[in-house]
Formats: sequence, structure tokens, C-alpha cells
Amino acid sequence: MLTTSERIAFVLIALASLLLTAHGVSRIVRAIARGQGRPNWGIFFRRVIPVSLDILLQRPIFRTRPFVSLLHAGVFFAFVFYGLVNIFDLAEGFIGFSTLHRGGIAALYNLIADLLSVAALAGMLGLLIRRFGLRPFRFNERVLLLPSVRFGISRDSAIVGGFILLHVGSRWIGQAVRVAESGRPDWSQPTASLVATLFHGWSEAALTMASHVTWWLALGLILAFLPYFPYSKHIHLFMAPLNLILREARPLGQLEPPTSSDGTLGAERLEQLRWYQLLDAYACIMCNRCQDVCPAHGTGRALSPAALEINKRYYLNRNLAAFAGGATSPPLLEIATSKEAVWSCTTCAACVRICPVGNRPMLDLIDIRRALVNRGDPLDPNLQSALESLARYGNSFGKPARQRARWAKELPFTIKDARKEPVEYLWFVGDFASFDPRMQENTKTVAQLFHAAGLDFGILYEDERNAGNDVRRVGEEGLFEMLVEQNLAALEKAQFRAIVTTDPHTYNALKNEYPAYGFRVPVYHYTEVLAELLERGALRVQQPLRAAVTYHDPCYLGRYNRITAAPRRIIRALGLELREMPRHGENTYCCGAGGGQIWMDSGGQERPSEQRIREAVALGDDLRYFVVSCPKDMAMYSDAVKTTGYEGRLTVIDVARLVASAVRIDGLEPESIPVESEAR
Amino acid sequence: MTIVVVMEQVPDVVEELAIAPSGTDLDRDAVSYVVNEYDDHALEEALLLAEATGDEVVAVGIDTTGELDQALYTALAKGARRAIKLTGDFEGTWLSTRAAARLLVPVIQELEPRLVLTGVQAPDDLDGQLAPTLAALLGWPHASVVIGSQLVDGALQVRKELWGGMTMTLELELPAVLGVQAARQAPRYVPISRVRQVMREATIETRDVETSGDLAPAIMRLRFPEEAGQAEILTGSASEIADRIIELLRARGLL
Amino acid sequence: MAQQIAVLVEHLEGQPTDVTFELLGLARRIANTNGAPVEALLFGQGVRHLAETIPADRVVLVEDPRLRYLTPEATAVTLATLLRADPPRLALIPNTSLGMDVAAWVAAALDWPLIAYCEGLETRDGQLVATAQLFGGKILADVLIDDRPTVISALAGAFAADAMQPEPPGTIERRDPPSELAALHTRSVVLERPEAADVDITRAEKIVAVGRGIESKDNLELAEQLAQALGAVLAASRPLVDAGWLPRSRQVGKSGLKVKPKLYFALGISGAPEHLEGMKDAELIIAVNKDPKAPIFSVADYGVVADLFEVAEALLERLEG
Repeated sequence: MLTTSERIAFVLIALASLLLTAHGVSRIVRAIARGQGRPNWGIFFRRVIPVSLDILLQRPIFRTRPFVSLLHAGVFFAFVFYGLVNIFDLAEGFIGFSTLHRGGIAALYNLIADLLSVAALAGMLGLLIRRFGLRPFRFNERVLLLPSVRFGISRDSAIVGGFILLHVGSRWIGQAVRVAESGRPDWSQPTASLVATLFHGWSEAALTMASHVTWWLALGLILAFLPYFPYSKHIHLFMAPLNLILREARPLGQLEPPTSSDGTLGAERLEQLRWYQLLDAYACIMCNRCQDVCPAHGTGRALSPAALEINKRYYLNRNLAAFAGGATSPPLLEIATSKEAVWSCTTCAACVRICPVGNRPMLDLIDIRRALVNRGDPLDPNLQSALESLARYGNSFGKPARQRARWAKELPFTIKDARKEPVEYLWFVGDFASFDPRMQENTKTVAQLFHAAGLDFGILYEDERNAGNDVRRVGEEGLFEMLVEQNLAALEKAQFRAIVTTDPHTYNALKNEYPAYGFRVPVYHYTEVLAELLERGALRVQQPLRAAVTYHDPCYLGRYNRITAAPRRIIRALGLELREMPRHGENTYCCGAGGGQIWMDSGGQERPSEQRIREAVALGDDLRYFVVSCPKDMAMYSDAVKTTGYEGRLTVIDVARLVASAVRIDGLEPESIPVESEAR
Repeated sequence: MTIVVVMEQVPDVVEELAIAPSGTDLDRDAVSYVVNEYDDHALEEALLLAEATGDEVVAVGIDTTGELDQALYTALAKGARRAIKLTGDFEGTWLSTRAAARLLVPVIQELEPRLVLTGVQAPDDLDGQLAPTLAALLGWPHASVVIGSQLVDGALQVRKELWGGMTMTLELELPAVLGVQAARQAPRYVPISRVRQVMREATIETRDVETSGDLAPAIMRLRFPEEAGQAEILTGSASEIADRIIELLRARGLL
Repeated sequence: MAQQIAVLVEHLEGQPTDVTFELLGLARRIANTNGAPVEALLFGQGVRHLAETIPADRVVLVEDPRLRYLTPEATAVTLATLLRADPPRLALIPNTSLGMDVAAWVAAALDWPLIAYCEGLETRDGQLVATAQLFGGKILADVLIDDRPTVISALAGAFAADAMQPEPPGTIERRDPPSELAALHTRSVVLERPEAADVDITRAEKIVAVGRGIESKDNLELAEQLAQALGAVLAASRPLVDAGWLPRSRQVGKSGLKVKPKLYFALGISGAPEHLEGMKDAELIIAVNKDPKAPIFSVADYGVVADLFEVAEALLERLEG
């Protein structure tokens, strides 16, 4: 279809475009290669099919924002198919290959192309209206943003949106022109045929001109757009799948040891991040989903995981040549995020879970913390006292290790000392469950339930130390290792089949972090054990409870380790009516205590736990209980119920207390929960 | 130029303490040792002074507990240039302030520092605080309950806390001895990884010293305070307690 | 004639402190057992009028500009010189900021025994026994005082029962300042008073005092509301003032202010000895702390082992409603 000079021109422009693009892409590759570590290419072939399937089903995108995801799906499928379309169009231009008015497989191809073009246009229009009309970008004022970002995001969206509209649009119109040229409608291209009626009465010369123009627009725009790719979020087309495919199969709750380069532990600058953390910046589509689920951002603090990735990307955009060439970049605390933001993170991993392209901004924050702690940057004074107390006493409460098991002395029976005799379950109690007076009641209840069920269990008494989960997440690797060593020394002397723990943070550390140090033993959360005890009849419900309750999934249990069923089985087995909050299960909303926050002064306008209580209260006036299965949740929500003024209306209760009320153990005072006979 | 910080391991008073059968010492088996918290402040103040002047900080301690190393390594990790440990015939004994001072004086004189800092007091200071004792034996000026210091034109300005917010600023000629109540800023945090690195790379200088005379303070016996006049405990719910309190206050005309 | 019991007079620019009169009373009690005189050593500048109010058998007065503020070196050197010339049976010095610098220095310089943190001194079976408070107040040490002149550094408030009233002394003897004062290595002294405090807690009839149990600065508001509702003044223990949550003028304790109100309502204060020193003489002490073993309960009249926020809110409800 094209003239010779057009062909020559196209080839030349294509060459230029590809050269420029390759240049940009090579810079990107070199930039990402400056990061620490290297991809394990071996997993590519293992992962490429499952990930591709995930992407085809658009699963990561549909985790939230269903309508927007639908619009994106339209654009996505169109784009995937347009790969083929562009090739055939190229063939049409160069060798005259055409699918017009053909039957069979060509007709199918035409139909799909036709419908997807409209889907793409509609989807893109919808997304642009949303971006520019309904939901322009919002970051709270405390978030650090590079100056180029605000305008840059809009400009990028406009360019990408414009490109897609023009590219797809001109291709679609081009097909309409061809249909018009042929003089009759092509039923395998229904919408194009409709549009073709607009060209009714055009001269042949005009139509030929139009077909060339639309061809050039459609394919020429690609050539024009390609060199822009490296600087646009549109590159997520390649970077997102790559990011997802090359992701190591590491449990979410297992951190990689810090990177170490020229004396720095962790990351102070971009080049000290890992290669995949730099790839994150290129995969990021700036959708702000991570920011929407971040409990710190949601309570007005300076942290936005989205801004972190976007800042990285924009810094790289503007300094790509220098950075790829090996230049030292400014500190991350100047270009990517602020110190206040870094210390606001609760490590709830909601951002990691929700990101459709596999980004993990939380890891950047932890790596920055590692660098700050390692170089002696002044810490929040309460955090410092907690760390010093952990180093000296093995707990963050400033209490001697000797007092750890004092709560056990108040029981009517003696708990086995796992250091002295073998037990089936070694109960690793956890700091808060042991030392906080409010939690001790729950801990004693758990002990009595285990005892009543005839479970063979024991504790480490004074030799137990904080498992170190949050110590690692505030960046004190040395202290974390010291705690691991101390705990392993105690565990080595004991004989047990499995571990049960009352604290999800402890659960996460023992299950996911300790194996790297040689500790491989089954680890259970006490809700798993209680559920099993109820189900096999070792604990019997004397009187089913009748009340409307909601259950809050702890971040480290529900999201990190996917244990959401066991607590619910318990609640249902007790006869309670379970109502789910909108954000439940793996999508749970953090109480705000993780990542060391419980050791620091809160800086937000309100606490995430307060927002959560309101979420629960909205489930109905008759909702009585807010059920928790984590000592920190118990602490945070008990306070939040008071500060939000719902005391008396909503009671925070540990699942063990519910079990105890239904099971009725001698000597254990039940809660005053309505039972079946008392129900109205 | 050198600044010496004297650091001491003391029984951790957070723990429950027991008295030995002899009645004249603590039950040392039940005791855990920590760095005297005021010595931590003294070290911090010394490091801050040294950072401003380029002096070297030397941490010195007498090892009566066998556990002093950790404290000295931590001091090195925080920025002290040298650490000196005095060992001798006194492990396991309660060293009196006077005896400790006598052991320290020759070491200090040899180091020729321009300043000696130590904590204002320690939990076992039966026979007085170390700073004034050292000052008397060295013949140097001193000040205790120091909450800030500054080197100005070769002399040392110190702020001494009195009471009710009043302070006294003195100018001392060097060399001098300070008993530090609080450093200008809270003692810095040193990550465990740094301490471990120091433990691998640095060495503590050990000096064996001769002892003479009485080392322990002269104690007749130790005992626990009588719990005289325990409070009457009010029980019940918060509302009941509040009612009771208001009743009490009304009865005394305080409401 | 038995050796005298010497007492160092503590004052700030001629204003004596309470502990001075406590130690003078203690000296009188000990001196009476063997007919010894009580000798008060008063150093300062322009303090002649103060000398006239010291209830001792004799006041030894040394006036010199370098002794105006009882600075460590000047005071210690002067005291040591006087004591060396005329050794007493006991030298009583307050265990306060000013006293600490003097007692240990003098005892070391003279190589005399010293018992610090003394909270008890009495004769048992014809022997003098001093009791020192150690290890954060958890352990007491009884020490036998032998024949040598002994320095006792006594805790303020420990001997309140012995306190005397200001009265004219038997005699006032002037002594020349020792020659050593010419060779001091301490110069220029400046006294800084805190900014005019909005409130003088030492004059308050009712005090609501908060400690670390209040957990965060945000919770101060609740305490302030409670104080207002009770017609009381808000005070704090040292850690809160150090953290900057309240000005130093609100600090109760050894290095803060001593208060003797009609009501001292302690919220979340554990009761470290330094704090107790500042408030244990209050008429009615009510303490709220979730730790049943908190030392504050040993001086409180009424104790509440509960969550202080719950109690405070319940009280507020009743007072405001």
C-alpha cells in the first residue's frame, strides 16, 4: 500500500526510533544493574507461564478497584492483541497483505481487533476522565515529592493516554477508511463499518490519502512513542511482567539480610538498593493503590509508598545517563522519601500485597532504616530505650528476664518447664503476652485452655527472649541476630515437636526468619491449636454463645502468613454470628503497632486502630465484640475503643476468652457474654 | 589531648536484690551487672566534648565483676579511642569509692588527661561519690551534678544543677574532674553490629594493679527497708474508686 | 570536753535550706548523749545576719567573696582546713548538690571515713551507728562509726523529725579565710534562676502529679483537666520534665522542688527515692499506679492499683458532671 518513498522513510524512521529506544533501554538496564545482587534467571522459565496466566486473568489488578480494573482490562486485552494487529498492519503497508473482507480465521481476527479497538478507546477514555476529572492525584502535604513529579505524572498520563487514543483511534478509523474504500461494509468489523458511513461520498483520492494518513499515524506514533518509553510509566508493559516473573519465591515474612557496600549496611542511596528495588521504580504504574491501603498515609503521616517509588522513577528519568554511567546519587532521604516517613511504616505489607506490578516499597523503607541505625542516626528516644532494654533484658519492657514467667505463677497448676522436660508443644509466649498486665489475663486463659484440653505443652520460662521480628524491621540487624542466637541456644536445649505461639509477630519470626539460622520446626498460632482442640472434642462447648462479633485479622497472621480460617472456625464453632469488616482476611487493616511503632510516639492525627474501630462499629448497632488474636491488637484496640468513645458499646476481646466462656473451665471466670438460653 | 571517662559496672537495681548470708554484701549470684547509668552520661558528654575539640576519649574501668569488657567495647564502639581495664585481687568484691579512687589515680596521672569525667553517683556509693574523691586525691578542681559542659579558651565551663531549676555555671581550670548527672543529649545508641565489629577488631588494654589496705567499705550489716506505713489500697471498679476518693477529699474539706 | 559535732550550713545567698536545720537538730540529738557541743560552720559573704539564726552552741563564720556561692573547691578547701585544725567527732554535711561536692572531697583529703546517703544515725549499745540508703533505696547499710572523726553526708528530709527552729547561737566566732583560697582553680560563678514560673508549686495546697505512667505527652491534657477540676496544680516527676513535657518549675523531687501540700495526688509515679524526697511530707497522699509493688505506695496514705486513665476519667466525670 505504501509508496516506495514512504517505505524508505518508514524504515529510516524506524531505525532511528529503535536506536534511540535501544539507547534508552540500555541505560535502564545499566541503571538497574547498579543495584545490589543479580536476578536468578533460572526461575524465569519456571515462572513465566504461571505469571503470564495471572496477568492474562488480570488477577493482581482485580484485587481492588473493580470498575477501574475492568477499564484497564479493556485496554490490556486490546494492547496484547494489538501486537498482532501492528504486525499485520505493517505487512499491509509493505506487502499489501490485507484481511479485509476475508472469511474464516481472518474474519475472527478482524472481529476481535474491531471490538478490542473500541474496548481500548472506551477504557482509555474512562481512565483519562477518571485521572483528570474525577480523581486527580492526591498526596498529603507531608509527603516528600520531587518537584518534577506533580506535573510529570499528569503529563505522562496525558501523553500515554493521548498516544493510545490516537494510535488505536487512527488504526480504527483507518480500518473504517478501508471499508469505505471497498464500497461495502465488512461484517467482521462491525464498528469500523459503522464509522465507514462517515466517509460516504469521499473521493477515491481522499480515501487513499486518509488510509495513508491513518496508517502513518497508527504505526508512526509507535515509532514516535518508543523512545519515550524509557521515561514513561508505560514501560510497565515489560517491566511489570519481568518484576513478577523474576521474583524469588521467598515468604513475605522473610527479609533478606541487609546489603553491604563500602561500609554501609542497608541502603542510603539508590545504588545501594537491590536490583529489584530499582526495577520496582520502572514497574510502577503510579496508580496509588499502595498509598490508599497504607495505614500511615491514611492517618495523615508523611509516608506514601507510592511517592517513594514515583520519586525513584522520576529521579532516574531525569538523571538516567549519569546514573547508568556510575554517578553517585544523592541520599534517598533527599530524593525518595523523608526520615519521618521512613519511621512511620508499620511494616503491615498492605502495599506489597496490593501492588499489581509486584513492587515492594516496604523493603526500601526497611533498608533505609538499616542504614540509619547502622550509622548511628539519632533514634526516637522511646525506640532507643526499647532497643536497649531488648539488648539487656531480652524484652522491651525494661523488666528483668527473671520476671518473664511471673504470670504463670498465678495459675492453679504448674506449666511444664520445657528446658527440663520434653514436651509436645513448646509455647513461645512472646513479650507483650508475658509482660503487659492487660495481656496476662489472656495468656493465663490460653494456658488454662491448653491445660483443660490435656495438651502437652511447656514454656521456656526466663530463657525466652523477644523473637526479634520487629527488631529486624526497625533495622537493628545486630540485635536481631543476638536475639536469634539467644533463643536458639535456649531452644536447642529443649525437646519438643512443634512450637505454638500467642503472638503473630513471634509466629512470623519463628516460621519465616529462623529457618535461615537452622531452625526448622512446625510453628502454629494458638488459634490453629484451639481450633483443632475444639474440632476434635478436647475442648467442648458447654453453651454456645450468642452475639454478633467481628474478627480482626492481625497483619502478621492474616496477610503475611495467610492464616485466616482457623480463628473463624473457632468463632463459628462457638455459635457466634461473625460479621466481616470490609477490610478482612488478607486485606486486613493494620492496628498501627508493627514496625516498632508500638515503641515510638505516634505522629499521626489519629491512630489506624481508631479508624478500624469505626469500621467495625459500622457493621451494626448490635455488634458487641471486636475479636482479636494478637496481644498488640488487644492493647491498641482497647485504647482505641476508649478514645473513639465507643467504650461500653464495643468490647475488645481475645478469642481465647471467648473459647473459655463457651467451654466453662473450673476456676476460670467467663465473660458475661449472652449464651443460647439467654438469647432473645 | 585526652579526656578520661571512668566507667563502673554496678548491680542492676531493676532486678530484685538479695543479701548474702554474711549480711555484709549482696548475694552476688543473684546480681546482674549493668553500666552505671550516670557513667553512660559521662561517656556521652566526653564524646561530645571530644568531637568539638579533637581530643581522644579513653575509657577506664576497674574490673571487679569480670563483666566489664562489654561496657568497654561499647564505649569503643561509641567513639572512645582507647579502653583500659584494671584487674587485680578484687574480683567479686565490693570496692569502696576510696579504694577505687586510689587504684585509679596513678593510671590517670600517667594518662595526663585534661579532664576526667565519671557519673555523679553510683548505687553502691556508701562512702561517697567518685568524682570529688578523685579530685581530692589528684589535687584538681571539680564539680558534680553537671548537666552540661563546654571548653572555652582552655578552661572548662560547667553547669551544675542545684534545685528547682536553678543552676550554677562555674569555670574550672584544667585539668579538672566532673561528676556528670546528665549529658547535653541522651547517651547515643550504638547498634549491636558495631559493638560486635569492635569486639573483633579492637583490643582492651589490661593492667594488673597491686592493691593494699581495705578495699571493701566497712559494713556492719545490710538489710531491707521495713515497709513502714503501707498505703490503704482502695479496690473496686474505676467508678467505685472515684466515688471513694471524692468521699475522702470531701471529708477533709479538700473539695 | 567531748569533741564537737560539726554541721556545714547550706544556704544560697544567705537563705538557709531546710536540711540545715534538720542536721542541726540531728547534731543536737547526738551531741546531747555525751555533752558535746554543736558547731555550725557557716561560709559565705555578707551572711552575718544568717549566723544569728543558727541554733548551735557556736557558729564558726568565714566570710570571703570566693565563698559567696558555696562552690565545690572553695567550700571543700575551707572546710577541710578548719576540720583538720580542730577535728570533730562527726562532720554532718547535707547529701545535696552543694553538699555532695564537699563531703567526699573533704573525707578523701583528710582520709577520714565517710558515710553517704545517710538516712539514720543513732546510738545503739553505746555505739554510733549510721544507716545509708543504697541501690535505689532498695537496701539499707548499717555502718558502725569508730573512734576516728567521721564525715556523714545526710539525706535531706531523712531527719525532719530532728529539725530545729532558727534561734540565736551560743557564740559566733569569726575565722580568717584559709590561705588556700588564694590558689583556687575555680573561677567565675554565675547563678541562673529559671524563668519566672507561671506557678509556684511549693505554695500549692493541692497538687496532681504525673509520672511516666502517663505514657505520652498527649495525655497531659487529661491530667490538667483533672487538676483544674480538683482546684489543684499540675506537677511532674523528673523524667517528664527531662523529656520537655513540662517546665522544670513543675518538677517535684530531690533536684526539683520540695512540696508539702494538703493533697498530693500521684498518677503513674513509681516513687523513686529522689521523687519521694520531694513530696513524702504531704498531708494526704493518694497514689494511682498499675504496679502493686511501686514504692510510692510506701509513703501514700491511700493507694489505687488500676489503670490511671480509667480512674482519672471516672473522677473527672463526677467532678465536672
